[in-house]
Amino acid sequence: MRSPLGYLADAAPGTHALLPVCGNGSQSLNLVALRFYYCGITIDTLVSTLIAILVTLLIGWLVVRSLQHGTPGKLQMVLEFLLDYTRGLVRETVAEDAEFIIPIAATIGMYILIANWIDFFPLPAPLIHPANADLNQTLAMAIVVILVVQGYSIKVLGPLGYLRRFTKPFELPVPFRVLFVPLNIIEELVKPVTLALRLFGNMFAGLLMVYLIGLLISAAASGPLLVKPLSAVGIGLLILWKAFDVFFVGTIQAFIFMLLTIIYFGMAREGLEEEGHGHDPHPPAPVPATGHHVS
Amino acid sequence: MNHAIALAGALIGAGLALGGGAIGAAIGDGLAGNATIAGVSRQPEAQARLQSIMFIIIGLVEAMYFINLALGFYFIVGVAAAVGG
Repeated sequence: MRSPLGYLADAAPGTHALLPVCGNGSQSLNLVALRFYYCGITIDTLVSTLIAILVTLLIGWLVVRSLQHGTPGKLQMVLEFLLDYTRGLVRETVAEDAEFIIPIAATIGMYILIANWIDFFPLPAPLIHPANADLNQTLAMAIVVILVVQGYSIKVLGPLGYLRRFTKPFELPVPFRVLFVPLNIIEELVKPVTLALRLFGNMFAGLLMVYLIGLLISAAASGPLLVKPLSAVGIGLLILWKAFDVFFVGTIQAFIFMLLTIIYFGMAREGLEEEGHGHDPHPPAPVPATGHHVS
Repeated sequence: MNHAIALAGALIGAGLALGGGAIGAAIGDGLAGNATIAGVSRQPEAQARLQSIMFIIIGLVEAMYFINLALGFYFIVGVAAAVGG
């Protein structure tokens, strides 16, 4: 009889089969107790990512193929609503002319949503793992987002303005602002880490709960007669948790990732709003004085 | 013997982390719910908008707890793997 902990450590979620690319497979960085591999790929994450990407592309392709102008289909309506919402969010939070953020944010939101919802189906565990339950996956997305944000910041504010942004808050006198530079640098570095850890933590914890409930079910089923009904309770718990985890947590986390991406883009042009006070470079289009309405 | 102590320490540490994290997440959820109730009672017509904002905030607050849970588990597994050979 194996101890529960030994079982946990053996077949725990989060242990990814690793395919070494260079060096020998066992080469790793030993930090405290965890081993971080620096040269290898996790096949299960790649496979599940590929599936999620294909499903996302398929849905996009299906919608584009049956695109209708007057009477949109249901899927088209849902996607139009999502895209419209993203567009409104970008225009409100970032700027009217920051059109290139809309596809980035919408793709991130769609992809994460679909990758999370795919977890609902009982997929073969050793090969296909929920894509976002691997820190490598979420960290890669977060780093890409933050790099694009830095690029956008330099483009909008200019190199000097970009550096000036690290001396927030702007209303303080200069000697005090210097004190804030390390804080601002830390804030910028922590952004991708929290972005990645938030999504990863949620998805991984969901997987972990499923695993623990599974342990409960098997323990109750093999126990004495009195405890056997508990396994039925465990199955009900499993269904409840899975639905909550996928459709509530998964949806909200996908939305939050998208929202924070847009907010980071908005933060990237912080210095600009103050200098440009009063003289808006893009004044709103003048309302036509004639009586006819433009629909 | 040392292995048992290390495992016990890891489990106690994870338990403390989970407990503390649960307290924080619960307080955060309560604050968000509190503010939502106050907002709805002041402006009942804003309920739908406030509710969606509340769920976003709850998602953000709970995320910290889930990070806690995931990393706590990782450290238990790491210690178990390290001392168990």
